[in-house]
Amino acid sequence: MSVDLLGWLAVAGAVFAAWLRASSPIILGALGALVSELAGVINIGIEGLMLVAAFFGVIGSAFAPVWFPGAAPWLWPLAGALLGLSAAVLLALLLGVFHLELGADLIVAGIGINLLAAGLTVFLMVTISGDKGSTAGLASLTLPTLKIPGLAAWPVLDAWLNGEGHAGHHVLIYTAFLAAVALSVLLYRTRFGLRLRAVGENHEAAVAAGLPVKRLQYVALAFSGLFAGLGGLYLSMGYLSLFQADMSAGRGFLALAAIFLGARRPLGTVGAALLFGASTVLAAQLGLLNIPSQVLYMLPPLVTLLAMGVVSERRALRERRATARAVQALATPPTPVTKEAFR
Amino acid sequence: MSAEIRGGGTESRGDRGGAGGTGAARPLLAILLALALGLLLTCTVSDEPIRAFRALLSGALPDVRWSAEAGWSVRRLARFGAVIEDTISLSLLGLAMLFGLRARQFAMGADGQLFLSALAAAGVSVQLAAWPLAALPAAALAAVATGVLWGWIPGLMKARYGANEIVTTLMLNVVAIQLYRLVITHGFNDPTAGFLATPMLSSGVTLARLVPGTQITVFVLIAPLAAVLAWFLLNRSTWGYEIRAVGDSPAFAQHCGLPVRRTMALAMAIGGGFAGLAGLHLSHGLLKRLPVDLTPGIGFEGLVVALLARNDPKAVLLAAFLYAYLKAGALAMERASDVPREVVLIIQALIVLFVVCERLLPAPVERWFARCWRAGASRWRPVPPGGSHREC
Repeated sequence: MSVDLLGWLAVAGAVFAAWLRASSPIILGALGALVSELAGVINIGIEGLMLVAAFFGVIGSAFAPVWFPGAAPWLWPLAGALLGLSAAVLLALLLGVFHLELGADLIVAGIGINLLAAGLTVFLMVTISGDKGSTAGLASLTLPTLKIPGLAAWPVLDAWLNGEGHAGHHVLIYTAFLAAVALSVLLYRTRFGLRLRAVGENHEAAVAAGLPVKRLQYVALAFSGLFAGLGGLYLSMGYLSLFQADMSAGRGFLALAAIFLGARRPLGTVGAALLFGASTVLAAQLGLLNIPSQVLYMLPPLVTLLAMGVVSERRALRERRATARAVQALATPPTPVTKEAFR
Repeated sequence: MSAEIRGGGTESRGDRGGAGGTGAARPLLAILLALALGLLLTCTVSDEPIRAFRALLSGALPDVRWSAEAGWSVRRLARFGAVIEDTISLSLLGLAMLFGLRARQFAMGADGQLFLSALAAAGVSVQLAAWPLAALPAAALAAVATGVLWGWIPGLMKARYGANEIVTTLMLNVVAIQLYRLVITHGFNDPTAGFLATPMLSSGVTLARLVPGTQITVFVLIAPLAAVLAWFLLNRSTWGYEIRAVGDSPAFAQHCGLPVRRTMALAMAIGGGFAGLAGLHLSHGLLKRLPVDLTPGIGFEGLVVALLARNDPKAVLLAAFLYAYLKAGALAMERASDVPREVVLIIQALIVLFVVCERLLPAPVERWFARCWRAGASRWRPVPPGGSHREC
């Protein structure tokens, strides 16, 4: 019995690892979307930024040994990651230039950034590797996994903390959760975060208060590029070790859904991203049964739509109750206002 | 590039000296800028950029020749026919996107609506194959109804839940495309086809070809009629007024007591109807049999068309033609040179980015240019011969 339980726990550990793998890119993308949304410049181009980072990460790591033959080998994937992140941040800033300097509609420009990223990556991939599907021909590198040592004596714990094969989780999986914590601290515990949120909350008031609104929005977009870029890097330098055309496969849009589902708060956003990751894992697990694959592919978007409906319904109910309470409060005679109230 | 930008400024003859221009100037400028950047990109990767770009710009044209012995001969008509067919699809999809955009709804659901309505039309036609007279109207009705329904769902979610329409429509696209594949894979297919596809529609229930050698059908007339209908709906009907009011200023519309939420949903549903017509064109005009691996993505091209037309139904046909021409040219370029056709995706994205810009230079730079322009204009005023002219 206990052996059975242990075996089951080990399997659950493997599913847990798959859940983390599926959720991490969505979490990172959603954090990027969140920081831009809170600054009032929602970045619709998350999908494209992930794609660009994934592509340039692969290109950078594949060519780093050629460009820097003298450098230590462990630096090469880092060079790729740096190239990928800079590409994503630059593209996010380009969106900022189009919206803030040239007066382009933010949403349409974001869609344009997505189209640009999709076209540019395939175009450059064909030019560089001669292949339209993937960069399988390039010897690109991956970022390392982090193994927590000394757990060999407890196989179940090892399976949970170090994943299948006990090789450890990918460094960007840890990054995703650390980034969520770091972003909440940045947004809710620092003066910079307060200002950023003030810009998103009330643009005119922020201008009147003398905040450098435009600069803050550029910074927010750069952050969104950074987070989305990390998510994209995970796809091509962790989840897989190559770049495929359109490999972000809608994760950037799931990330946008996550911030609305998560009520524009870091914790809620991460929770929504975990839900989307879970639906992907569920679809993969159901694939073992005799269910048409098309039904499985429908599952994650249907979960998203359903969750959006359910959460909004509950939110609307709460608002109606709050309104009812307010009406009731108005109906009762007011308590006399004392001086204490103004203290 | 700055020459073009200032060129736009001179055209508008305004003191602002802006590149924005009015009317058709801005979309044209956006296309020119995007093409220029595309050429720049082509130069960096190609050994023969000029040849490639010539193919891009002229590859879509039919080859009309005259020779003494054979007289006039037209070659590559199919290619130009493809441009016309594409123009029809793109203008219908552009109209579909336009209704949402006019109500400030960024509904991207045209892809899913197209797939499902094509499937519905094909299904109805196969069921009604025995009554050819009834089959075609019934198929058209099914296509439009499917499009309206699939466009109305995200509209309802927006109206009722405030669900972001970009997210819901993209999710619904995935659902629709998988549903399309599911139906064709399990059930609605022709085992004798050799590949997974719906049964071939018999010639009695499809649309007849008007020009031999091409797939041009009666839709070449329906597309302009659809544009007229869209113009009428938008500019001469109550619904259209509500859609425009909600799009221009939701707060104003709310204060006036317009049904803002219902109008948003309505705009998306009407757009779905036009996407349904595009689906009918796809199944009954172009393909006659729907393969399971139909490529999604044409909905985004509808967005480009709607933006190029600046959300004006009157300009949609022209915008669709320009874009279809560019696409066919890109195919010709890929065949004639070493440049992959994906360069047109980049040009497409750049068109989107440039066409929504209010100005093509940052405001301070633009003011500086305008000052220089005015100063320059006075400095270089024709000087009487011999006279010295000093002015700052």
